[in-house]
Amino acid sequence: MLLEDNWVPDENLQIDVKYIKNMWNCFDESALEMMLKLSDLSEGFNVLYNLEALTIGNSKCDAYLRTLYALGYKKAVRVEYDDDLRFKPEMVAGTVAGYVNKKQNIDIVVMGRQTSDGNNEKTPLILAEYLGWPCITQVMKVEPVDENCLKIINETDEGVLTQIVKTPCIISVGNVSESYLRVPTLKDRMKLGKQPIELYTPEELYENPENIIERVELCNIEKVDNSRSGIIIEGNTPKEKAYKLYNEYLKERLEKL
Amino acid sequence: MAIISRDKIVEGLVNILGKDNVITDEKVLKESSIDRYRKYEQVMEVYTQPIPAAVVYVHSTEEVSEVLKFANDNQINVVPRTGHSAIEGGLETALEDSIVIDGSTMNKVLKVDKYNMQVTCQCGVPLQSLDDMLREQGYTTGHSPQSKPLAQMGGLVATRSIGQFSTLYGGIEDMIIGLEAVFPNGKICRIKNVPRRAAGPDIRHIICGNEGALCFITEVTVKMFKYMPENNRLIGYKLDDMKLGFDCLREVMVAGYKPSIARLYDAADAGMHFSSWLEDGKCVLIWMAEGPAGITEATEKGIKELMSAHPELEPVDPKILENWFAGLNWGPEQIAQEAEEIKATKNIGITTEVSGSWDCIYEIYKTACDRILEEVPDMTLMGGHSSHSYMTGTNMYFVYYYNVVDCPPEEEINKYHDRINQIICEQVIKYGGSIVHHHGLGKARAKYVHEEYGSSFYMLDTLKKAFDPNGIMNMGTLIPLRK
Ligand SMILES: Cc1cc2nc3c(=O)[nH]c(=O)nc-3n(C[C@H](O)[C@H](O)[C@H](O)COP(=O)(O)OP(=O)(O)OC[C@H]3O[C@@H](n4cnc5c(N)ncnc54)[C@H](O)[C@@H]3O)c2cc1C
Repeated sequence: MLLEDNWVPDENLQIDVKYIKNMWNCFDESALEMMLKLSDLSEGFNVLYNLEALTIGNSKCDAYLRTLYALGYKKAVRVEYDDDLRFKPEMVAGTVAGYVNKKQNIDIVVMGRQTSDGNNEKTPLILAEYLGWPCITQVMKVEPVDENCLKIINETDEGVLTQIVKTPCIISVGNVSESYLRVPTLKDRMKLGKQPIELYTPEELYENPENIIERVELCNIEKVDNSRSGIIIEGNTPKEKAYKLYNEYLKERLEKL
Repeated sequence: MAIISRDKIVEGLVNILGKDNVITDEKVLKESSIDRYRKYEQVMEVYTQPIPAAVVYVHSTEEVSEVLKFANDNQINVVPRTGHSAIEGGLETALEDSIVIDGSTMNKVLKVDKYNMQVTCQCGVPLQSLDDMLREQGYTTGHSPQSKPLAQMGGLVATRSIGQFSTLYGGIEDMIIGLEAVFPNGKICRIKNVPRRAAGPDIRHIICGNEGALCFITEVTVKMFKYMPENNRLIGYKLDDMKLGFDCLREVMVAGYKPSIARLYDAADAGMHFSSWLEDGKCVLIWMAEGPAGITEATEKGIKELMSAHPELEPVDPKILENWFAGLNWGPEQIAQEAEEIKATKNIGITTEVSGSWDCIYEIYKTACDRILEEVPDMTLMGGHSSHSYMTGTNMYFVYYYNVVDCPPEEEINKYHDRINQIICEQVIKYGGSIVHHHGLGKARAKYVHEEYGSSFYMLDTLKKAFDPNGIMNMGTLIPLRK
């Protein structure tokens, strides 16, 4: 956790996060685990999923990519970028699109719906636009069907939807409850984690850089006030307080359920 | 064991404590049959130990006395409990129809004596609330185990716990002034609060560390210290190997400095804590000076001077460490999240803490890690840190994670946890250290008590037989059950 006092933007409007432990973005973590589960299930369906992971960032990302190698990802790719990516979903999507087009053999792109610092929630949709592929959002689960189709379960405003989707497609992973990435053994880290990471520069991947127009300019950042109002229930004993809590605040709501 | 039926046990307890204080809810009983030693079983909700007959809440020393007398008369095994944060099986109800006596309801701070610098509280006072209350008034207990948000005074004394600032304040044994405890025959004993005495053996240490196997602790008086966080000074270094790290710890201790924190993380453990700024493969050394300004300044200067003789050390920005340290403790939220992660990934992390003199601690660390990696399958992390140093040696806190593979929850303890514990204990015994630095022997490591004590086992055994002749106090803890 970043302490509130440490949330101080510098002259480039960056927040110094060196105090906090690095971790996977939760949506990316769900997406990565979802792919491994899909791959686990593939045997019974006669489909082979070749998992590749791509990230855009500096060499600090390599440790994470090595973990993915150790977990059975067949290829790890890093696009070297050391600048501020927080509000550049077009640039991210453009880079991914460039990679997909270059490779030609990719037919499913799975990504987290948003980062925790930029929170743009746009990248998968812009990528879909660039590639001309359908994009399923708020995905919770994916299962194999056959070579050309996936069963995709996602959340919509109306409820949970299960559909069979033809590939190619983009999957934007939303809230998956209790979805943690599995942990590789030290032996697998030794055996698989040392494979070379494929490196690119953004320029090598953009097909039409002129098409990538950044639509926002970062002017300022401010902390969002997340505090909620509350009431402290007074009472002499816990029993009295619980009684008040139930009668005055919960009873009516519970009865409506 | 018990010479009366489960129903009669419950009936007897209700007669003493009233119905509201005798819990027989199935879920509560199951959860009360184990502690975090069986973390995997706990998370998977598989219960392999005998389920207690009741969990009872006590409100006074007299109630404790009556319950113990009742249990003693009827040969019912009793497990004392306060914060429920034990990690070595101390809370396991190893015999059928046990009673768990929960002292968390005895939670009053009885006296804050600022003149004599001591605070008296009942066994169920949570350390976090006690220390928060004292800090508001400019004082501290100086006790800060990582489980501060969970543990309570009775349990902290019962396990001979230790906090993160121990190198200055000592372990709980250095903080205790006086105590009150109840023995199985119902006898209430008070040890008065004096600064020191030489009136025979220090009998406080029969109570401290008894792990509920001799008596029930009802009241504790501990020291208070002035709280002056504004003077704290953190010092940190990165380094390449643990051997050098242990040498650095030793140099500072032997030179006579008393930092409150002296910690050395190996690369694997450091990687988990400091991934945002630390390069792969680096160890981390951390000191903190605490106390009056003149002392902290001198301590910082002295440590830096000593460390400057090692060009291999690279300084770390103290601000990074300050922020990291602020988030180190574990409360109920962390426990809940951990459970979720374990359930999802079947990856579990465990710790084992040992100690050794300076001349063997590195060998203990190195050979135990090597053997575990060689002999135990499915390891995902093996490492540790030293977090409590003394003039004569230091501790090693092994941290290890593994995937539970092709193994039902009830088998996990044999296949992984105990196997790893065994290797660590074997290496410690081989090199002459202690297999338990601060979590207690519990039931997990009771089987090594003979190796740990050697000829002095006679004394422990005699204490047990004298104070608990009917064998009702937390049986299987400290001394293993005879199978
Ligand atoms: C996340 C985590 C971090 C931890 N970090 C530390 C640490 O930094 N340092 C450290 O020393 N320990 C640590 N521990 C271990 C544990 O918190 C300590 O052993 C603590 O002292 C237990 O206190 P408790 O009140 O929770 O006792 P419980 O868990 O309730 O009981 C512990 C043992 O003491 C006995 N006992 C409890 N109350 C009494 C009583 N009134 N009379 C007689 N016997 C009693 C029990 O029978 C049991 O054997 C940690 C545990 C966790 C889960």
